[in-house]
Amino acid sequence: MPSLSAAIAASASGLNAERTRIEVAVSNLANSESTRSGSGGPYRRRDVVLSSDGVTPFEGTLQEAGATGVRVAAVLEDQTPFKRRYEPSHPDADKDGFVALPNVEPAEEMVDMLSAARAYQANLTAINLVRDMLQRALELSR
Amino acid sequence: MADIRDSAIIDALRRQMSIAAAKQVVAAGNLANVNTPGYHARAVDFTAALERQMGGTLSLAGTAGGHLEGTVSEAVSTEEIDGLQPRRDGNNVQIDRELLTMSGAAGDFARAQTALAARFRMVRYALSEGR
Repeated sequence: MPSLSAAIAASASGLNAERTRIEVAVSNLANSESTRSGSGGPYRRRDVVLSSDGVTPFEGTLQEAGATGVRVAAVLEDQTPFKRRYEPSHPDADKDGFVALPNVEPAEEMVDMLSAARAYQANLTAINLVRDMLQRALELSR
Repeated sequence: MADIRDSAIIDALRRQMSIAAAKQVVAAGNLANVNTPGYHARAVDFTAALERQMGGTLSLAGTAGGHLEGTVSEAVSTEEIDGLQPRRDGNNVQIDRELLTMSGAAGDFARAQTALAARFRMVRYALSEGR
């Protein structure tokens, strides 16, 4: 029998992944006007890549059905072209007066954040349900 | 009533709790992967679970009069759920479906726990000679 702690571990990995997605979406939004970044040029939008991952608790090797957790496989830069805006007075404008701006779409980030927040809530609900079950199992001894 | 033994009832309730816990674990794994591209939702293999509920194939052999007989709980197997419409990223986890499975399993667990606790209370009552 898979242990309930494996369920909590899987849900915790889900919380972690969704939190990372929210963090990345927030930093994309915050940098939607940053024309300079560490790698030179404007900020590039970042994307989280998730991959499913078997959670193996202590007794995991003895079982067929463990819980499937999730992990952040990579945070990649979005390679779509930068947006361009005509603003000759801007210090980073090119010789034609155009400024390259980050390839961040605020609407896209908001949708990402909403879906991550929903998934985060679902994982929290799952943890609460499992916790209630553990509690009830403890009550057997009363 | 002679062939309904206490241990058989307790064993059945214990199995029910195990299956509820397994459902919970698998649904939690599905929920964790609700945003993983290409992930397919899994469920506890119902036939295998039913077989075990009905007594299973593995049982402890009682080779002497004083031996306790019972079934060995095997590992729970899972299978991919058919007939769920995948999203564009190939993922077919539905949050509401998984949460429903989890609430259902929690209910099953609570029901078995209540019955088991009542059994245990009776045993304790007998042990304390009705005091």
